[in-house]
Amino acid sequence: MAWALGLTGAIMLYLPLYPSIGGSAQMQQMIDALPQGMTKALNYDQIATGPGYTQATLFGLIGFLLMSMASIGWGAAAVGGDEESGLLELTLAHSVTRVQVVLERALAILVRIALLTTLVFVLVLVLNGPAKLEIDVGHLFGAVLLFAALALLSGTAALCAGALTGRKVYGVAAGAAVAVLGYVFNAVGRQSPDVEWLLNLSPYHWAYGNSPVTNGADWGAVTGLLCISAALIALGTLALQRRDVGV
Amino acid sequence: MTQAIVVKGLRKKFGQREVLHGLDFAVEPGTVFGVIGPNGAGKTTTMRCLLDIIRPSGGSISVLGEDPRQGGTALRRRIGYLPGELHLENRTTGRRMLEHFAAISGPVDERHVNDLADRLQLDLDRQTRKLSKGNKQKLGLLQAFMHKPELLVLDEPTSGLDPLVQQVFHAMVREAVDGGATVFLSSHVLSEVQQAADAVAILRDGDIVTVSTVEALRTAAVRQLRFNSTGTKAHDVGALLARVPGVAKVAVRELPADGHASGTVEATATLSGHIQPLVQELARLHLTELVLEEPDLEEAVLTLYTGGEAPPSTGNTQRATHQPEGAHRA
Repeated sequence: MAWALGLTGAIMLYLPLYPSIGGSAQMQQMIDALPQGMTKALNYDQIATGPGYTQATLFGLIGFLLMSMASIGWGAAAVGGDEESGLLELTLAHSVTRVQVVLERALAILVRIALLTTLVFVLVLVLNGPAKLEIDVGHLFGAVLLFAALALLSGTAALCAGALTGRKVYGVAAGAAVAVLGYVFNAVGRQSPDVEWLLNLSPYHWAYGNSPVTNGADWGAVTGLLCISAALIALGTLALQRRDVGV
Repeated sequence: MTQAIVVKGLRKKFGQREVLHGLDFAVEPGTVFGVIGPNGAGKTTTMRCLLDIIRPSGGSISVLGEDPRQGGTALRRRIGYLPGELHLENRTTGRRMLEHFAAISGPVDERHVNDLADRLQLDLDRQTRKLSKGNKQKLGLLQAFMHKPELLVLDEPTSGLDPLVQQVFHAMVREAVDGGATVFLSSHVLSEVQQAADAVAILRDGDIVTVSTVEALRTAAVRQLRFNSTGTKAHDVGALLARVPGVAKVAVRELPADGHASGTVEATATLSGHIQPLVQELARLHLTELVLEEPDLEEAVLTLYTGGEAPPSTGNTQRATHQPEGAHRA
């Protein structure tokens, strides 16, 4: 709920400002005056168009931050946090399998991410006209899907690490590593051809490299991100299945 | 009927540290089996192995005729478990939590739940985070008992409960056993187990020191004896006591005449083992007073904890081996 409020707040704050920020010639001059490395790192090089503005501010920055935090929190708490607090022991003593527990909790995360991203989709759609964003609905749908898949990836990384170790903090670390390193590799990789290879390691770049709000989703990236998430869940399940709980 | 629990050679290592060194015990169906031992003796580890929460490093376990690793959900449905360190979801009420567990391990008769909650005087509609330790423990007991399982595994069930509620708990255990259930419970205090258990295993440093009935333990335990008699010389009283098996620490003295019949002898001693031989000998005397105290089982068990008269354990060679029933090491 708090995450929904946060996302709503961010969207309501950023998107209506587009006509006065991204779309204005004055702003464009200011951005041109900034060092190119910085605009590239922040994805502000595309800020002059409605879709580019939405991509850079919402999906690329504030939305990404909020969704990653939410997802990592849920992922780390799902198994590792639950075990650390001693709750998992009682649950597993009941008539459930460990596979069932991990899968159901992964599903719960998926559902929550789906709800939040649906909210984002609807809000952007509502503001599309009033804020003169001129976003193609199909492209928006693809971008939201990538937005969700990217959040899911850091969440499942957190879940997997939590299931491997039984510690929440390792889950948070793993999830944050995926999100932060993905972001940093993208920001640095875009600076010069010498470090461009970093982009290949960045889930953030896989998702947003082609500016999906402007150009539509790269479906290969959607599939790829979802497959890695699925693999992480499977690995977490396997790990929990094989080890002692709560020791 | 097969035994409810059979544990053979159970070992558990955490890394390099072995915490269970090959436990052997069996629990007859329809009985209450208590495990006592100090913290860290391996009680909780043993129980977690029975529930497949942790996996043994060696040995075999059979719970209700099945291996916990193979039995899976169907087996755990037949077990009610109370963890030693009970943690409950904070953002829920007792009722919602029980409904959740009932959905997993049910079917559960809701009247039974309400009935138990009434008896334990537990308000199910309060937020769990606002419950006191004792009330959380009641909720833990409720989720273990509510689906009327065939086997109850209860780790320190009475911890945090006030004496009145402890009585309710003991009644619940008796009812479960009368209904055919088997109860496996642990405590670090003997007096708790003593009230409920038919058989007791004493666990120390990952070894079973002895398995015996509470009765046998009582026999093995040391009682304080004190009596006054008249008409017999102090020396003869001492000689008579010395003939009784199990009597030790005999002290006899003539009491001063004032306030007592002349020639009154007061004797104190300790008795371990059976009472009958003592009573037969005492019948020869003319007693004016006799006190044979309730044996201090706590004391008896502590003797076993510390290895009796043996020096502190220095490794495998000093480890106590399985004792025959009622064996006494003092």
